[in-house]
Amino acid sequence: MKKFIIPLIILLLPTLAQAAVGATQLEGGFKVGPSIILIAILVTFVLVGIFFRAKDTTDFYAAGRSISKVGSGMAIASNWMSAASFLGMAALMYGSGYHGLAYVVGWTGGYVLLLVLMAGQIRKYGKYTAADFIGDRYYSQSMRAVGAIIAILISISYCVGQFVGIGLMFKWIMGLDYQWAVVIGGSVVLAYTLISGMLGVTKNMQIQYVIIIISFLIPLFILMFKFDYFWVLPQIGYGSVVTDVVQGVPVSDIAGMVNSMGHDFAIVPSPEYAMPWDPSTGKTFFQWMAIAFSLMIGTAGLPHVLQRFYIVPKASDARWSVVWGLFFICILYWSAPVYSALGKILSANPEVGKLAKDAIVVYTAQLGDVNPLIVGLLAAGGVSAAFSTVSGLLVAGASAFSHDLYVKVINPKASPKLQLTMARAGTILMAIIVILIAILELGLIGELVAVAFSLAGCTIFPLFLLGIWWSGSNRQGAIAGLIVGGLVSLIAILYFIAGKQGIELPFAEFIGYYLQAWYFAWIGAPLSILTNIIVSKMTAKTPLEIRKFLVEQVHS
Amino acid sequence: MNEENQFHISFFKPTTERARRNRNKVVVLVSIWAIAVFGFHFLLKAIEKPTPEPVLLEFNKVWDKVKADEASTAEMQVFAKSVLQVTGKVFIQPNHRAAFNNGLTWATFKLADSAQKVAIKEALVDFEKVAKNVEMLTDDKYQSAKSKLAALAAVPLGLNSNELIAKFLPLELRSSMMDSFSEKQKAVVAEAMPFYTIHNQSVLTDTKFLGFPFHYFYTAVFLLILFIGICWFYSYSTDRINKKLGIYE
Repeated sequence: MKKFIIPLIILLLPTLAQAAVGATQLEGGFKVGPSIILIAILVTFVLVGIFFRAKDTTDFYAAGRSISKVGSGMAIASNWMSAASFLGMAALMYGSGYHGLAYVVGWTGGYVLLLVLMAGQIRKYGKYTAADFIGDRYYSQSMRAVGAIIAILISISYCVGQFVGIGLMFKWIMGLDYQWAVVIGGSVVLAYTLISGMLGVTKNMQIQYVIIIISFLIPLFILMFKFDYFWVLPQIGYGSVVTDVVQGVPVSDIAGMVNSMGHDFAIVPSPEYAMPWDPSTGKTFFQWMAIAFSLMIGTAGLPHVLQRFYIVPKASDARWSVVWGLFFICILYWSAPVYSALGKILSANPEVGKLAKDAIVVYTAQLGDVNPLIVGLLAAGGVSAAFSTVSGLLVAGASAFSHDLYVKVINPKASPKLQLTMARAGTILMAIIVILIAILELGLIGELVAVAFSLAGCTIFPLFLLGIWWSGSNRQGAIAGLIVGGLVSLIAILYFIAGKQGIELPFAEFIGYYLQAWYFAWIGAPLSILTNIIVSKMTAKTPLEIRKFLVEQVHS
Repeated sequence: MNEENQFHISFFKPTTERARRNRNKVVVLVSIWAIAVFGFHFLLKAIEKPTPEPVLLEFNKVWDKVKADEASTAEMQVFAKSVLQVTGKVFIQPNHRAAFNNGLTWATFKLADSAQKVAIKEALVDFEKVAKNVEMLTDDKYQSAKSKLAALAAVPLGLNSNELIAKFLPLELRSSMMDSFSEKQKAVVAEAMPFYTIHNQSVLTDTKFLGFPFHYFYTAVFLLILFIGICWFYSYSTDRINKKLGIYE
């Protein structure tokens, strides 16, 4: 391996150095350096996948058994850290200040629920997919099919935000129109998934985590050092940056520090950045709470997250992998606000113009005059974060389609070759749907991903929560609960799409506020749980064999 | 108990010692989690007080006279500086910005003497023409047109060229808005000023901790540490209880 890599690096160095010169504009044209870095990272992922690939299916599913709890945590973090974490969070804080922290809290606090309520029990239940669990626990093939369809819808919804991120980064790297960037970036991720989808073993995920986190942290240290803040621990040192934004930085205080456009490192007092639910951000207290709650229960209901716990050797490992996974995730989540705070000061001059919020991480590094190659590494890290999540989601969606829907429900006699064809067709179909939706630019990355969380919170979360913790929850209750959760989701998404298309529906203002697409689970999930309980109480008991299994296997 | 009733799982009615301990632990940890996240924010909401920025207080002192077109030179300068402070914030709604630009341009020309008016107008028109076609902000022509306008317009407003808001000034002036400041635009300015300069503050937002406003540190840093701590404690204590009760999962 070394024989190839070292000469390749030596060969590329002059090209990279030359490329660095032309990449100082915020947007600009095709950027050679970042393109090479991006390709190198993607090739590394594929090569690592090939070198560490599973020998057979059993090995594939049991990949987690040969690695440590720390390694398993890294895999969880890599699977979790998407464009929404890498690009979207800083964008939300940059645009809406303290409101953006609801996403930080929601996307991390959900792991507490996931751990104390589900992780160990899911492992003990011993199924491979969310649809498998639902079909088995609620003894219904129809529920299995519905579970699979919901898993596909969640995957699509989750992927849309990722494709927006991929589009923005491809736009930045290649200097293309956004629409073309989404199409090209989407095609690349599809090809990458088809090549490496089955290679997405745990080892690969660990390496992805390391690359993603390094590319995110290096510019942060440089920026903090450059602008004279406590750079040794930027995640604490940026407290002074936040206070500077709130109190303002006068020109006289900064002694020659400028951004890459020559503007002083200065800002007028802007308390709206840090004060809670500030009127000028247009966000309210209710929205903060609803988003945090919806994201938390959504985290504990996402099929691709729940799926991670099926493949660890024992329940204890499932629990510890959450602890380590959360720690590794938090490293990124403690760091993202630093970009938004620095970005706020560096882009404070009106001359900088209106920046695409979702690219603020990259723009902050550029405005801070960080070496263009490091900015390129950052952009490539953003694409990698999206790629690692998208390929996992597309594979999860495709397996829900081929395994849970096609083989288990439609054609149980399908040959392995036909199953594989169906999985590939499912992947391509999903990618096309996602590209078409992503082109519409319906919202910020973080907001679009939040739709998937609310959908999961209204549908999968209640089924898992009651399915594990109350043997009284039966098929009828599950169906009724799912109908209510699904109905709330449908109304919220319908009004959201209608609003985006300029169609005025009755009570649009009321529903647009209380059932907004980013947080409708705040009411959808409790209603679904309540309905499940009431209907279960009114109908026949759960079959004995299911209750016996819960007592003897899941809670033993 | 017959077999039909023997097999039942309910979180709230545990049937074994291990399940009882687990239930108690989950209830305590989820309560800590809920109070730490939602309880804190209810508290933040309960004690908040809408607090104006000093710039709004300054603006309010002179606004009535500016509105009635009876303001003195010093009062007009206070008005212009207040407006400039707000336009310097990163996100301003387009209709609000238009009204602020109108008020600022009108005030600048109102304060300028006739010679200054001619010079500022000429520099402004020239700057707008250059700015329309500029491709790079480092363009010499653009920079020199901007500096010339900044130097000329700062004089009637009493701005020091080193002040941050003086640097924004050329970007907020509009040649089409110098003659009048309509009642409609005045109403927009009156509504927009408090919108951007009143914030929900309290002892929790005003106290500093490790350089952060305390509430910001609590949410962005501490809560994440707490989540990891809860998860660690749960995993550790579950392993310990299992060991104690001789349970092998």
